[in-house]
Amino acid sequence: MELISGQSNGVLVVTIQGSVDALTAGQVQGYFDDLLEKGERQIILDLSQVDFMSSAGLRVIMTVSKNLRQDGGELRLAAAQPPVEKMLKISGFTTILKSFASLDAALGSFQG
Amino acid sequence: MTHPKKKLALVIGSGAVKCAAALGLWQVLNRAGIEIDLYVGCSGGSLYAAVMALGLSAEECIEKTKSLWNRSVTKRRNWRSLLQTILPGVLGFDEFFGMVDDRPLLRNLEKAFGERTFSETRRPLHVVATNLLDGEQVVISDGRLVDALRASISIPYIWPAWRIGDQTLVDGSLVNPLPIDVAILEGAEIILAMGFESPYPHRIKSISRYAFHINSMMTNNLLRANFAFHNLAHHAEILTLLPEFDKPVRLFDTDEFSYVIDKGAKAAEEQLPYLERLLETAG
Repeated sequence: MELISGQSNGVLVVTIQGSVDALTAGQVQGYFDDLLEKGERQIILDLSQVDFMSSAGLRVIMTVSKNLRQDGGELRLAAAQPPVEKMLKISGFTTILKSFASLDAALGSFQG
Repeated sequence: MTHPKKKLALVIGSGAVKCAAALGLWQVLNRAGIEIDLYVGCSGGSLYAAVMALGLSAEECIEKTKSLWNRSVTKRRNWRSLLQTILPGVLGFDEFFGMVDDRPLLRNLEKAFGERTFSETRRPLHVVATNLLDGEQVVISDGRLVDALRASISIPYIWPAWRIGDQTLVDGSLVNPLPIDVAILEGAEIILAMGFESPYPHRIKSISRYAFHINSMMTNNLLRANFAFHNLAHHAEILTLLPEFDKPVRLFDTDEFSYVIDKGAKAAEEQLPYLERLLETAG
């Protein structure tokens, strides 16, 4: 599992390549903890290259989102593949996290 | 083989014939030499959890569940119950309302399980039902298997509630369509959860279709709400298997067994590499 980040119009896009599960959740958490410490507040999680997400993965996304919100920031989700989108939907994440079909749409949402 | 420190549970939710997908999962696990430590079943899922917990082979499980769950179980109307809806005061309408005579179902259950009890299962089994009078979840872990299964699959309006002791019980899906919490409570670390959302009919053209549609909406939303909480509450890992069915599989479409089992096997194959890695890592 790889994590790559890049800035776009003041928004940080974090792309995860691989699975977000119990074996990788710690790495994801640590990565986002560093970002928060560096002051990042508007973050898009690009899920286009995530092929699998388990409960451990869901929990780390929830923790990241809550931590960001507590500091006045926000995490938004973009481009989830159908199996991951299904998991996000069935676990209620799409009712409390803004999720977009494409990265462009997610980026656009921060500009409005 | 299962890592000694990690308790592995299989939770099979409600879903009637779709629950047979769990047999596909089981075939995959058997081939990989992975043993389940704990079984939890709800409604239709409880039938499959029970045959697996008894330690039957995949082929025996398929034969037993095929003979148990078929259209013969809904063939006979419960005319007294139907008349009670028209003359409730005269004929005494009560909580044991059910439009279908449950004797064929009971005969099938008894043929499949006889007098077998929970104590005869090779691994712990927990079956979820709903207390009709207060809406609370009831987890059945002892006694006759037939009683527990009859209670858990008491689909409202279809079959009458089932009494165990002083509790009047109905379908477990009314309280918890995918009871992951029972596995959490019993100390499972890795939980394989196989759940099924109810399909929505394309057209609503009868009162029964309307009732089914409303019931599906409520059950699906309940599944999602509980699932959301359980995912966040668990300290370790839940692998959720949601087999994709590209055609409708209705309540008694038992001629779709092979198709459903294949879909379950496919969903399991996709998760198997990760499950094996999880089991190999230290607890």
